[in-house]
Amino acid sequence: MNFFRGVMGGQPAGPQPSGAETIQKLCDRVASSTLLDDRRDAVRALKSLSKKYRLEVGTQAMDHLIRILQTDRSDSEILGYALDTLYNIICNDEEEEQDESEEETQQKQVDDLGAQFTDRFIQDQENITLLLTILEEFDFHVRLPGVKLLTALLKNQCAQLQGIILVSPMGVSRLMDLLADSREVIRNDGLLLLLQLTKGNAAIQKIVAFENAFERLLDIITEEGSSDGGIVVEDCLLLLLNLLKNNSSNQNFFKEGSYIQRMKPWFEVGDDNSGWSAQKVTNLHYMLQLVRVMVSPVNSPGATASCQKAMFQCGLLQQLCTILMATGVPADILTETINTVSEVIRGSQVNQDYFASVNAPSNPPRPAIVVLLMSMVNERQPFVLRCAVLYCFQCFLYKNQKGQGEIVATLLPSTIDANSISAGQLLCGGLFSADSLSNWCAAVALGHALQDNLTQKEQLLRVQLATSLGKPPVSLLQQCTNILSQGDKISRRGSKVQTRVGLLMLLCTWISNCPIAVTHFLHNQENVPFLTAQISENLGEDERLVQGLCALLLGICIYYNDNSLENYTKEKLKQLIEKRIGKENFVEKLGFITKHELYSRAAQKPQPTFSTPEHMLFDHEFTKLFKELEGVITKAVHKSSEEEKKEEEVKKTLEQHDSIVTQYKDLIREQDTHIKALKEQVAGLTSQSEEMQTTITQQLSQIQQHKDQYSILKLKLGKSGDQGSALDGAQVNGLQQEELTQLREELDELRGQQSLLQTQLSDKDALINSMKSETATAASAQVAGASDTSELLREVESLRVQVQRQAAEISELQTERKELLRRAETGASAPATVDGAVDASKVAELENLLASQNEEMQKLKDELTSLSSNRTALDTELASANSTVAILQAEKTKLQNEVQETKKEQDELLMLLADQDQKILSLKQKLKDLGETIEDEDDLDTRDQFEEEDEEEEDDE
Amino acid sequence: MAYAYLFKYIIIGDTGVGKSCLLLQFTDKRFQPVHDLTIGVEFGARMITIDGKQIKLQIWDTAGQESFRSITRSYYRGAAGALLVYDITRRDTFNHLTTWLEDARQHSNSNMVIMLIGNKSDLESRREVKKEEGEAFAREHGLIFMETSAKTASNVEEAFINTAKEIYEKIQEGVFDINNEANGIKIGPQHAATNSTLPGSQGGPQTGGGCC
Repeated sequence: MNFFRGVMGGQPAGPQPSGAETIQKLCDRVASSTLLDDRRDAVRALKSLSKKYRLEVGTQAMDHLIRILQTDRSDSEILGYALDTLYNIICNDEEEEQDESEEETQQKQVDDLGAQFTDRFIQDQENITLLLTILEEFDFHVRLPGVKLLTALLKNQCAQLQGIILVSPMGVSRLMDLLADSREVIRNDGLLLLLQLTKGNAAIQKIVAFENAFERLLDIITEEGSSDGGIVVEDCLLLLLNLLKNNSSNQNFFKEGSYIQRMKPWFEVGDDNSGWSAQKVTNLHYMLQLVRVMVSPVNSPGATASCQKAMFQCGLLQQLCTILMATGVPADILTETINTVSEVIRGSQVNQDYFASVNAPSNPPRPAIVVLLMSMVNERQPFVLRCAVLYCFQCFLYKNQKGQGEIVATLLPSTIDANSISAGQLLCGGLFSADSLSNWCAAVALGHALQDNLTQKEQLLRVQLATSLGKPPVSLLQQCTNILSQGDKISRRGSKVQTRVGLLMLLCTWISNCPIAVTHFLHNQENVPFLTAQISENLGEDERLVQGLCALLLGICIYYNDNSLENYTKEKLKQLIEKRIGKENFVEKLGFITKHELYSRAAQKPQPTFSTPEHMLFDHEFTKLFKELEGVITKAVHKSSEEEKKEEEVKKTLEQHDSIVTQYKDLIREQDTHIKALKEQVAGLTSQSEEMQTTITQQLSQIQQHKDQYSILKLKLGKSGDQGSALDGAQVNGLQQEELTQLREELDELRGQQSLLQTQLSDKDALINSMKSETATAASAQVAGASDTSELLREVESLRVQVQRQAAEISELQTERKELLRRAETGASAPATVDGAVDASKVAELENLLASQNEEMQKLKDELTSLSSNRTALDTELASANSTVAILQAEKTKLQNEVQETKKEQDELLMLLADQDQKILSLKQKLKDLGETIEDEDDLDTRDQFEEEDEEEEDDE
Repeated sequence: MAYAYLFKYIIIGDTGVGKSCLLLQFTDKRFQPVHDLTIGVEFGARMITIDGKQIKLQIWDTAGQESFRSITRSYYRGAAGALLVYDITRRDTFNHLTTWLEDARQHSNSNMVIMLIGNKSDLESRREVKKEEGEAFAREHGLIFMETSAKTASNVEEAFINTAKEIYEKIQEGVFDINNEANGIKIGPQHAATNSTLPGSQGGPQTGGGCC
């Protein structure tokens, strides 16, 4: 016991036993002791020795410790010690800290030690399962060392551990629960555990994401103050990066969960610049990394596009651009922000358009693009920043024809703006500056403005540069080749090769797929000799790349040659290669490009990243172009002229065949259209003729109807003629009216006469009365009365004459009417018969001549309408005539009645007169009797006598 | 993108029964006749409307192969709904349903809604499992049943939406603890706010009783 006590205290007092011995003793005690307390003490002792005697404890005690984990689950204290001990022997980090002074070889041994013990521990998978169940123990002293142990195991044997945890039921889910632990220490160590667990294992990453990792991590980041937070924020960001990097499923989940929107506030750092702590810089750096992971060019285009859209919509891009234009941002953050903005806008038209509209808050405001390009061609700016700007520019122009056009336009004479610095000016400045890095960057940037854009390639040919005073302006293309061939004259900073490679890449991009540019290039007599000289020369290693690029340029001149220059046709250039360079040599030189180490590095990803400025030689887009062209150019050069001729012959015959076929096709097509037109015509004509037939039958039936109507009318007219009174004949002319008025006037006259007669009669009555009253004395008055009577008689006579005259007139009218009737009959029947005949003949004609038919039909119709209108007019006239006849008849009868009445009246008057005469006579007789002498008038002798007698008789009475 | 609820689904069943095609048809409305084997798990999402409420469905499509079984098991616990799919033209996929169901019941929370789906209903001529058999199995085990065709899109919407309806009803009945995200249900940000301020909203008494 004493011995053990000494060991337990950790302060060996007596004779020092060897470590191994002590450990063996402790192990025995752990294994054999029945008392928990004893075991606990032993494990505690092992723990204290585990750092110093790591190897010994590890080799001798591991199994015992594992057994403790299995059997002593109930005592958290002993569990804690055991886990701590295991952690100490497995974890390498602690050793590193402690033995910093130790030599490297020893360090390596130590590393091996950790791996060895890990291997031993995980040999039995049950141990891991056991560890996972122990982690469910809530006790801080168990959970924390458990987490640490698992983390250490994962660090040493990641893949294997991941495999074991993945298949153990709910393994990952349990570890995820650590993030929810209320004790910050455990939560933070849980983060570290998950960091190790999720490394490079997509399946685990997905499960962790499924267990709401995004939500929890974003919450923790927010709680900890985002970029202002400490290392916990950094750990969260690292874990998020682990979960999202190269994991499209999780990226999709992240996007669908609207977590992109939650990233925006991270970048609201503003201009206040309260200070940029190292932690803040790190945090922001990872935050930017996270944004880039979502829109990385290696992601599927659809996924990237939807994330780019979301980033614009939630204002994340705008926020990043604010940082871009802010002052006081540390250079590395600025660089990473530029890279991030680059990838957020790459290939997204909306985002690119927005970026083009961003202005720097300078006075006057300048476009962000211009400000950035200024940094790119500025030697004093950090190299990485310049690379980032180049990348940004490339991403801005990627699949952006509009942007390409805008950049090139700043160089064109028509749109150039002399007052402000433009992107084009900066690029040209960079192209011809004395700094090779600027040359290269400007050349590549300009090349991107031409990428896959024939219009801009042609437009750029128009650009003229003013060189020095007095000299004529030189085209941009010319100037580029001039620098290539005479480059040695200017002393430059940096490598000559870099400048030349840059310019050659620009030229290759420019003239490829653009025959006009090729012609322009070949037009300069110096260019081809320069290229052949470069290729054929036997130069050192450095120059080989330039040779390869020259070969490529010459190859493009052959491949995209439209043979418009006689001296430099495809054929002549090929011969030139054969004579001056040799085909094999040419192809070999071309092959130098792909063999270059930096070429394959540039081909990997679009972002230009170079460890040193000297490595800046190839552009990603150029490597794509080269891949496309290498094969076709090799083929084009290798083909002998004979082969080409043969090929051309084959092509020609093929073309001939094609042309024949196309001719026939055209013919058939023509005939087809012809037939179609004819068919349409036939169809139209048949339908027309059908229409015509129907109209004919219609019109025939109409004519028939009209005929029938005419005959009916005829009959009617005949009847009405028979039935009508004598006055009917007068219907046609105005005579009748006149006569009517005459008759009326006469009637009026007669009436007037009658009334006159009546007044006279009344006068006479009055006279008679007066005579009666003056019977005795009115003899003279009697005479006057007699004369009056005779007057009346005369008038009656005249009236009779008048009546007779009227009767004669009526008979006259009757004859006139008859005549008119006859005339109407002939008028109506004549045209009808004529029309019928014409119709019959026309029908025959119409069947042959459809065109003329229309006209005739129309005529017929017109005639018919005029006839029918005539007929209706006649009808109405007839009707009116009938009515007038009736009126006249009525008037006539009235008149006759009146005449009879007047006759009766006259008769009565005559009777009255006779009576009066009688009375007068009797009165005369009385007067005679009375003694008065009365002179008889000659005319009235006899009557006077009668009258006198009457009067006498009356007197007698 | 605001939603009232978020439900997590998993799709399980033998390999080649058309799980990924069902998901693709539901999320993208297209059919891919040749589909690579799913490795592990793939994610898809879509918004639907039930009872006038926007519900976001997050769906994890699992690999059917036996070798991935241990991985896919990790998804049972956190899912509110599962589509258990078999192929009506392959009897063995139907025969394996019992195993799948046992697995699901063992690892999931007890309230998980399981929809049994007989897929490839367009291939009537090659049918090996009668519709009645599927119905009988579903009745026996208390599942909802449907025959679908990811190719013609027949019943695909319904399958996903009916499962959501069932979950929604369970929420209204207070069966689900909606505050525990481990159940695969999450209340939307807006809904959570209105729910707390307006306890008298539809189904309020029931949910209130369940929660408090």
